This record gives sequence, C-alpha cells and structure tokens, in this order.
Amino acid sequence: MRPSADAVVIGGGVVGAAIAYNLLKSGMKSVVLCEKSTFASGSTGRCGAGVREQWGAEHNIRLAKASIDMFEHLAEELGYDQDIEFKQKGYLILAHTEKEWDQFKKNVELQHRLGVNSMLLTPEEAKDIVPALNTEGMLGATYNSRDGHANPFHTTRAFLQAARRLGGDICFFTEVTAIELEAGKVKRVRTSRGDISSPVLVNAAGPWAAVVAKMVGVDLPVYTQRHQILVTEPVGWFLDPMVMSFSIGIYCQQTPHGSVVMGIGDPDEPKGYDTGHSWQFLREMASIVCRLLPVLRDVRVVRQWSGLYTMTPDAHPILGKVPGVDGYYQAVGFSGHGFMLAPVVGRLLSEMILGKQPFIDISGLDLGRFERGEYMVEPSVV
Amino acid sequence: MRKTELAVVGAGPAGISGALEAASYGVKVTLIDRGDRPGGQLVKQTHKFFGWHAKGAGTRGIVLAEQLARHIRENENVTFFGSTEALGYYSDKVLLLETPRGIEPLQCERLLVATGASEKMLLFPGNDLPGVYGAGAVQTLMNVYGVRPGRSVLMVGSGNIGLIVSYQLVQAGVRVAAVLEAMPVIGGYAVHASKIRRLGIPILTGHSIKEAYGDGQVEGAVIWKLDEKWNGIPGTEKDLKVDVICLATGLTPLGELLWQAGAQMEYVSELGGFVPLYDENMETTAKGVFVAGDASGVEEASTAMAEGKLAGLSAAWSLGRVPPEEFTRKREEIRNELYQLRAGPTGQKILRGLETLSKRAKKVTA
Ligand SMILES: Cc1cc2nc3c(=O)[nH]c(=O)nc-3n(C[C@H](O)[C@H](O)[C@H](O)COP(=O)(O)OP(=O)(O)OC[C@H]3O[C@@H](n4cnc5c(N)ncnc54)[C@H](O)[C@@H]3O)c2cc1C
Repeated sequence: MRPSADAVVIGGGVVGAAIAYNLLKSGMKSVVLCEKSTFASGSTGRCGAGVREQWGAEHNIRLAKASIDMFEHLAEELGYDQDIEFKQKGYLILAHTEKEWDQFKKNVELQHRLGVNSMLLTPEEAKDIVPALNTEGMLGATYNSRDGHANPFHTTRAFLQAARRLGGDICFFTEVTAIELEAGKVKRVRTSRGDISSPVLVNAAGPWAAVVAKMVGVDLPVYTQRHQILVTEPVGWFLDPMVMSFSIGIYCQQTPHGSVVMGIGDPDEPKGYDTGHSWQFLREMASIVCRLLPVLRDVRVVRQWSGLYTMTPDAHPILGKVPGVDGYYQAVGFSGHGFMLAPVVGRLLSEMILGKQPFIDISGLDLGRFERGEYMVEPSVV
Repeated sequence: MRKTELAVVGAGPAGISGALEAASYGVKVTLIDRGDRPGGQLVKQTHKFFGWHAKGAGTRGIVLAEQLARHIRENENVTFFGSTEALGYYSDKVLLLETPRGIEPLQCERLLVATGASEKMLLFPGNDLPGVYGAGAVQTLMNVYGVRPGRSVLMVGSGNIGLIVSYQLVQAGVRVAAVLEAMPVIGGYAVHASKIRRLGIPILTGHSIKEAYGDGQVEGAVIWKLDEKWNGIPGTEKDLKVDVICLATGLTPLGELLWQAGAQMEYVSELGGFVPLYDENMETTAKGVFVAGDASGVEEASTAMAEGKLAGLSAAWSLGRVPPEEFTRKREEIRNELYQLRAGPTGQKILRGLETLSKRAKKVTA
C-alpha cells in the first residue's frame, strides 16, 4: 500500500468501486481503496441487485435513469472480460390497494415528465407479461421495459479491475481505523496495514458509514436494518421482469441462470448489525410468493441470507461534502437502492471531488438538507 | 409449535445412542431422519463388523440396526420422525423440518447433530453420467432395495468399503471388472483384499480413472497408471467396458447444519474434511449444539455410538438431569472406551486429527 495518495476511498462495495474508478478515469493519478474485508462483502454482495427508473421522487428518477444509461454500456466501458449479467426485462410493479394505485398514476405522470417510458397496465395486460402471475385482488400495475437487474459481484469486480488497470491501489483486508484532520482538513488515514496521507477521503462504507463519519466528527442521521432474501434452485424460464409490490412488500426476479431471487420488506426486522436469518422469513416469503406466482409452489429454496439497508430519514442517499471538513466526501445512506445508483454516483462524486460541475444537480442531497428541513419524499420503497 | 427438549438429527448409530442416553435421564427426545426408518448406514451393512473390540463384535449392521430401532420404538421418551429433513437451526432455537406433511418448526432446547458423512466425488470427464455411483449408494440399492446397479462395475478405491462392496456385487451376480487404487498399496484389510483376489478380480494399485464415456449413460471407462505425483501417464490408458462406475474414495463429514447453525468449522484432513470445533462434552462453539459420529470426523460405528452416548449424556446434564458426580464418572468411562476403540493403527490417524482440532480449539478460546 502506498504511503500517500491523491484520494482514499473507504469501502469496496459497488459504490466505493465506482467512485475509485471514476476518479482514476477522470485523470486522478493516485487512488487507494481500503476495504476491511473483501469486495462486495457488505450490502452489495447480499443485495437483490434490481435496477429501476420507476421511482416516485424526482431525484431518484433522474439518478436511476442516468445509471441505466450507464449500465447499458458498462461492461464495454470497463473492458470487463466477463458478463455483468445486466438484463433489461423490465419491472412489473403491482397495485393491490386504491391508495397505491392512485400513487402509481402520479408516479407514472412524473416519470413521463422526466423521460421514463413507464406504462399503466390492467391486470390482464400484466398477465400478458407474466403469464404465471395470479392477478386476483390486483387493481393494476406499472411496467417499464428498461428496468432490470445485474450481477452485483461481477459489477463491483468490473469497476475494481478497471480501477486497477488505471493504476488504482485496491487494498482488501485493510480497515480504516482513524482519520487525522489538520486545521479542518483531511490529512492522513490510519489503517490496519499502515498510514496513508491524503487530502481527499471518500466515505463509501455502506452500513458502517456512520462509524467512518464519526472519525471526522460528523454525525449521520442513518440507521441500519436487516433485510432477508433467498434464492431457489434454477428452474425453466418463466419470469421476464422483476415483480414487485410495495403494499405486500415483496420483490422477486429470475436470474439468467434460472434461479429465483426474492425478498420481503418487514418493518419489524431488527435494527443494527445483525445479519442472521430466520425461519419465519422463509415461511412468510414462501406463502406470499406462492400466492403471487403459484408456479413456484414446488420449487426448492437453496439458500437464505440477509444484508443491511442503510436508511436515511427520507430514503434518499446523502451525497457530497460536509461544511467544515475539507477534503471529506460521502456517498452513504442508500436506503435499499444503492446498487442501481452506483454507476451514476461514481461519476457525480468524482466530478465533485475534481471540482467540476456535477452533470446532474444533486445539491439537494447533501447532509445539510435535514437541518434545513428539506426532506425528500419517496413513496415507492420496499 | 411442537416442542422437544433434545432434537437429534440423524438416526444412525451416533444419533440413536445419543437419543437413548438422553432419554434414559427422562429427557424428551425427537429423533429425526431423512430415511423412513432408524439405523442410518447400518441398515445396508449386511457384513459383520470389523475392528469392534468392545461389544457386539461379529454382529451384522442390519441386525444391529433392528435392535436399535426396537429400543427407539420401545422408549416412551423418544419420538421418531422419519422421512424428515432438518433444514436449518435458528437463533430462536427452532429447528425447521421438512416432513411428509410439509414444513414444520420444532422448538428444541438442545440439538445433537449426528448427520454422518457423504461420499467424496472424484473429478473426471463424464463423472455426471448416469451410472456413476458412490459405493454407499450401490450398497443401499442392493442391500436395502434388492436392486442391482448394473451388469459390470469398475470400482474406484480399495479401502474396506471398496473391497466389501466389490464382494457384495459379485455375490449379487454383478461382474466387477477391476478395483483401482491410486496409492501404491491396497487401502483396506488384507482379509478383504484376498477374498477379492480369489474371485479373480484384479486390484490395480497406482491406477486411476481418466474418464467415463457413454451416450446418455456410462458405457465404459478409460483408466490409466499414475506416476509418483499422482499424474496420469499418457500411453498407459486401458479401456474397460462397464456400465457402472462405483466411487469408494472416502467420506467427508456432513456439516451443513453445523455451518448454518454458526458452529466454527475447521478443515482437518485426517477427519475427512470440515468438522466443528467441540469440547470434551461434544458441544460445538454454537451454544447448545452437540455433535457426534461421522459428522464430527469420519470414523466407524462403534466410536460413533460412544460419541453419541457422550453427547446425549452431556445434553441431559446441561438440562440439569444428571447429577454432577455421575456425569463426571460416566464421561470418563465413555472417554476411556473411545480411547480403547482408537488404539489400533486407523485410530492413530484419528487421534492425530483430534489433536489438531483441539489445538485449534485452544487457539479460539485463548
Ligand atoms: C437484501 C437486500 C436487497 C437489496 N436490493 C437492492 C436492489 O434490488 N437494488 C439496489 O439498487 N439496491 C439494493 N439493495 C441495497 C444495496 O445493496 C446497497 O445500497 C448498496 O450495495 C450499497 O453499496 P455500498 O458500496 O455503499 O455499500 P457496501 O456494499 O456495504 O460496501 C461498503 C464496504 O465498506 C467496507 N467498510 C466499512 N467500514 C470500513 C472501514 N472502516 N475500513 C475499510 N472498509 C470498510 C465494508 O466492509 C463494505 O464492504 C439491497 C440491500 C439488501 C440488504
């Protein structure tokens, strides 16, 4: 590991990887990425890896849309020798309550205004897209064919390999333990494998973002919460889009390899760092998904696990600088959708750090918004 | 939700002994097995036991299985769940079961994992063709269901299992083309090897399988000689027309449930692969989770029964059912029995493995 660098990025998840790559691509010479474990070992490697522009809030729509543009050419841009398995077969988002249906109509209107070609579908039209769907009790659905998902391990690895090729120093099993400031400026980073002096520090520590922020004296209004997920054995192709419902709190998708990945959002899950899993989840998940997609009834579960969401008060990430701590940047609090935003966030953060005008205005996503009382509202999260 | 004091997963010699021991102290035990009857590997062992010094020497596995099954049936503290698979053990002490009736949670105060071992697979082209079997599967087919696996068999591995199954195949009217052994010497006991030789079956040491071929199923195998580094020597290939390839290349502990329950696992080659760290009471690093038998290191039935008994005793003791002096005395007795059982040459290897394991356990607690 180098003794000094132009920038140190903390976190080898997809967000840290994307930021390190973009800094190097934009001409920064010396970038060190510190990861306390191995790549994608935090939330990234545990996530559902869905990518959608069907959001209900303007920031999320703009960011996700730009990210999808980037995902479409990502493997090529990064010169990745394998497949990141980006699949665009859409998201089908189901409405089961009047309230939800009304909200979806508004969402689609906003999405159209921002250039997203989503559609409102009747239950019959939804069934045309997913013949296996049980539409009982469904009022309608929204659909957008540009949505989809990718493989989180390959995506992160593609960013990291490209960063390495550009001269980045990617250090696994290197934990940042302290950060030294001098006259309000980032000076040096202490790690389990030695010190690095650097004027720039990027906090992309995922669930540990608040711990890292504390090292520079910044309090983050975030909490972490467990989310459980499972994968089945591979089965014949039956599910093109990601199927999602906010009122039922479920998402379900079939990966290119045929296995089906699914999770539920349970507000009673423990907060903190517990990444265990429960049998109650298996039962709950199975009963919900078999009602929605009865063909899954005889399919076997091969693995269950959990990961952490890092939640902010308004379910939007916190991006950029913090007044009073020069050289400190953060890309944290993704509230369950940081995988899809990583490509665009990588570019935006590098633009900010290099003093350029960010290509999308994200000034409203700074930490200061909570003090100013400028909360965003995002009605469409699982 | 159904409740039990001790759940025992695996109704082989280890699990049954553990269940009966705990039950003798009044502990309510639920014994679970994937198979439809208790007995584990014993139900297919038609041969007499070897290397069992203590009691029951000369007993056939199937006879012993029947005896044990009867003890289980007659014991009012033990409930047997057959055709039931344990899927996972969770932090709220629930063991999730897949039963013929569906998925059922079982609340248990203690868990004994006695899941045994599974056969090791060999890597070679064509190893996924129908007709490639583990030796245990061949034994089950013949001795439990009365089904011949095929007409002509290539046996890979000359340990006791490979030799005994070869003999049983011939008894069942199946041709055994050859027994291969990668090592320069035969692995199993000389008595078994001579029996095979007398039947005219060649035992080829320093040989392995290169590939299996066939259209949709095994039609033959190519074998070759190995050099001292275990690499195949080109030019020494021979083609054997067989429809079954039987792998008797050793066993590895079945520890999925232990991994999932959060027990710390260590790789110890003498014990067959990954095994849990455990203390002198057979308790793993996952509190309240005990282990016994091949799941804790591949050995044989008599040590499995002794370990099962020790685990069952400890589980009963940890539930407050065994007076301390009695516990200490009995534990010492069983440990002595285990020591004696491991006195032979095969036991030396196990003892080395256990020593490695206990060193690592000390490192963990230090
Ligand atoms: C079950 C589940 C499903 C999800 N589904 C989706 C989805 O469908 N779509 C989507 O977009 N998002 C989804 N998410 C959210 C997504 O996983 C996260 O938002 C995203 O992965 C965040 O990436 P990250 O790089 O910020 O964090 P992480 O991947 O957690 O990376 C942070 C890294 O920082 C390292 N680190 C922390 N502290 C230190 C330190 N002091 N020193 C060195 N290294 C440190 C950690 O080891 C970790 O590897 C899901 C999350 C979960 C749990």
